Amino acid sequence: MRSDFHPLCCDKKPWVLYLLGLLLILLSWRERAFPSSIFIDEVGRKVTLTGPPKRIISLAPNITEILFALGMDEAIVGVTLNCNYPEKAKEKVPVGSYIRVDFERILSLKPDLVIATGAGNTREMVNRLEGLGIPTYVIFPKKFDDVLQSILHLGQVVHREERASSIIQEMKERKQKVIEKTKSLPRPRVFLQIGESPMVTVGKGSFADDLIRLAGGENIAGEERQMYPRFGREEVLRRSPEVIIISTMNPKGDYDRMISEWNRWKTIPAVKQGRIHLIHSDLIDRPSPRMIEGLEEMARLIHRGPLLRPPEKESK
Amino acid sequence: MIEVQSIYFQYHQDWVLQDISFKIERGGFVGMIGPNGSGKTTLLKILYRLLSPQKGQVLFEDKPLQKMSRSEIAKKIAVVAQENYPLFPFRVEEVVLMGRSPYLGSLLFEGKKDLEIAQRAMEWTEILPLRERYLDELSGGERKRVFIARALAQEPEVILLDEPTANLDIHHQLDFLNLILNLNREKGLTIILASHDLNLTSEFCDRLILLQKGKIYCVGSPEEVITPEHIEKVYGCKVWIDRNPFSQSPRVNFIVKENQP
Amino acid sequence: MKRVTLKKVIAISSLLTLLLLLIVLFSMTVGSVKIKPPQTITILLRSLMELGEKERDAEEMIILSLRLPRVLLAGLVGAGLSMAGVIFQVLLRNPLADPYILGVSSGSAVGTILAILLGLSATSFGLPVASFTGALFTIGVVFYFGRQNGKIHPNTLLLAGVVTGSFLSAVILFLLSLSQKEELHTILFWLMGDFSFSNFISLRIVFPYILLGFLFLYSRSRHYNLLLLGEEGAIQMGLSVERLKLLSYLSASLITAASVSVCGLIGFVGLIVPHGARTLFGADHRLLLPSSALIGASFLILSDTLARTLLAPVELPVGVITAAFGGPFFIYLLRRRKGVKTL
Repeated sequence: MRSDFHPLCCDKKPWVLYLLGLLLILLSWRERAFPSSIFIDEVGRKVTLTGPPKRIISLAPNITEILFALGMDEAIVGVTLNCNYPEKAKEKVPVGSYIRVDFERILSLKPDLVIATGAGNTREMVNRLEGLGIPTYVIFPKKFDDVLQSILHLGQVVHREERASSIIQEMKERKQKVIEKTKSLPRPRVFLQIGESPMVTVGKGSFADDLIRLAGGENIAGEERQMYPRFGREEVLRRSPEVIIISTMNPKGDYDRMISEWNRWKTIPAVKQGRIHLIHSDLIDRPSPRMIEGLEEMARLIHRGPLLRPPEKESK
Repeated sequence: MIEVQSIYFQYHQDWVLQDISFKIERGGFVGMIGPNGSGKTTLLKILYRLLSPQKGQVLFEDKPLQKMSRSEIAKKIAVVAQENYPLFPFRVEEVVLMGRSPYLGSLLFEGKKDLEIAQRAMEWTEILPLRERYLDELSGGERKRVFIARALAQEPEVILLDEPTANLDIHHQLDFLNLILNLNREKGLTIILASHDLNLTSEFCDRLILLQKGKIYCVGSPEEVITPEHIEKVYGCKVWIDRNPFSQSPRVNFIVKENQP
Repeated sequence: MKRVTLKKVIAISSLLTLLLLLIVLFSMTVGSVKIKPPQTITILLRSLMELGEKERDAEEMIILSLRLPRVLLAGLVGAGLSMAGVIFQVLLRNPLADPYILGVSSGSAVGTILAILLGLSATSFGLPVASFTGALFTIGVVFYFGRQNGKIHPNTLLLAGVVTGSFLSAVILFLLSLSQKEELHTILFWLMGDFSFSNFISLRIVFPYILLGFLFLYSRSRHYNLLLLGEEGAIQMGLSVERLKLLSYLSASLITAASVSVCGLIGFVGLIVPHGARTLFGADHRLLLPSSALIGASFLILSDTLARTLLAPVELPVGVITAAFGGPFFIYLLRRRKGVKTL
């Protein structure tokens, strides 16, 4: 447990400081009984692990996916209620949602590593875990390439670097393919809708914005400084997108309703030409290895046609 | 004992009291009378410093009221006035004990002496059997007696009463005033009361102060104050004054218009 | 029921304290992780005897780092809000008054939200400070507008408080509309009342206010009885009413501000606990104040315990539990109507 304040005036007696320093060195010497690794996580925090982690708790669905992809499924002892991929993740013990966790449950699972994400988990949570003496590693990917970095970092932390590298390599190749195939194509104006009421889209600095650009489209909200700006339908009208992509958790069910909503606005080019498509949210807002599928799907929807092969498997 | 020196009082723009001066001797039974708006209640409030006059001062045994602390005043002057219902119910005993407050200061709990004094006050006002009852369960007359008991518990030298007999039946009015009279005669308490009722005040008070529109019209014994001329001037109606056959105090008889000479 | 004596106060307070201790023990043994009562007690006792840091195992950490500060904080806040509720009901001569009625909570919320939007974390030391500053500002404003001719007038104070509170609520909504997703979650949970981040720092912040507040308010408890007679009646009894009103208003507001700054807005406690205590023990403040504090502590500890165990691992906001109990209980009180004259 951490102690609270230490009311020592620094300018009074310098020898006290030296003594304290010596004491600290002696104390920290005790801790070096085991070889420990020190990592700096993606928000600059120092994380100390004594040996390879064997009991990991993931505090976000994308982290869970990355860990499974790295082959760490045996080591995962706790996930969130939102972790739904792969199927096996649903069998793990839930410790809460990614905004509220049950610290008692976390403690009882005796983790040696907790992995959190800066986009989703709160700072309070991380501070609390730190205060309870649990090593916590925070990733904070913001763009597509950051995701590759996060996979690499996590690979290092769990001692699966080779696996991480190969995943990253494949993702890079597939990304390169998308870029090449769309290089010579026109860049349509794209509106990505991620909320219904209010209608929210993606602005500069968000993942989906990055995906749109990489997929060869022009995000009509790409200059907005807010990450998730709210647009009224009039604003969309004004910017006349040529493609509308709606992000939804339920592509099968919402299709008809949402299309008919937009069909009333015939002056929008995308509506006129019937270019309204649905995409599954998990593919484009979850920074995980599946993001490459999201990129491919996005390119397919934006450019349509035989240039990119359609997905063989169902996107969940 | 109490000396009022040229006091002036206003709430907002208009003067409610102007140039009021009089003296009250210890042991007196004084009544303040006058029509509505003449300033009786305001004057009473000034006498226990609920209100402070803009000009002039009140002396209590030669000490200015302004210089006395609230608890000092409360130990000398007790008030029986129109009461709000307390926000939450209290029992008679508790209400009477509140009269001991000026003597308790920062003490939280009443002592044996306080309990004895409260007991005696309740005996005197004959409400001892009611001590456990809640205030709102009592009749108007009983409630008034509780407030007198509370005033007595303050062990005051002066008791101020504001329209004490309003809303009481005749027999209660008489009982009440007899009680007050006894306090005056047997315990030597100085009594000052403000009232609408000319006959009752004439009967019980030994001095009257007649107010009109914030000024003193006249001061004196009931015989001196309650005269046809004074009543007509101040109240604006003709009356016939004779004597109460038993006490010889002036008695006001109303003359209905059609019977006027 | 006879009148209140020192003996009576001590007897009832002791009983309620015993009840409180039992509830504290119960809450320490209950949680989303099962730890047996004997083990809980052993851990508690051992921690009292050990000083300094040492390696603690999971059970010890759960008991001592998670549950203990949480239960203690809930108790302190419950006591504080209940006492403040009693005082505001007397000061404003209104049985429907609660500690938030004069806008202190809204001011606190604005301070907190601004701090969160500017990047402060909810567990940092800065947040309670920001919260408290917002509260102080509100206290000052309401006090300034609540006076008439230099005196505190209950109705004017009430009006000033309600108006200020409404204005600040509009500010809160405005700030919320500017917030991004992550901040919204933090803000929302704070607004709903949250003990999940209780730690010993918060305890140290709140404790002096509650303790000193109680000592001051209790020393005036007999005077509050007099105030119930109306201000004229109280003055007749020799009370310096203006000074009492000012100091009481400040104390109760500070207690509220301190409570809100460490755990957000928890409603109903300050409203129903005074009424409940009054129904059980009468309106005499010499008994009402300590009993409200003790009952309030027990009530909030129990509510928080329920909040964190009912749907584990999901944690309900404690304000939901207090409202769920508070609403029906209040209706029950209304139907009995013994203790309330002016409703």
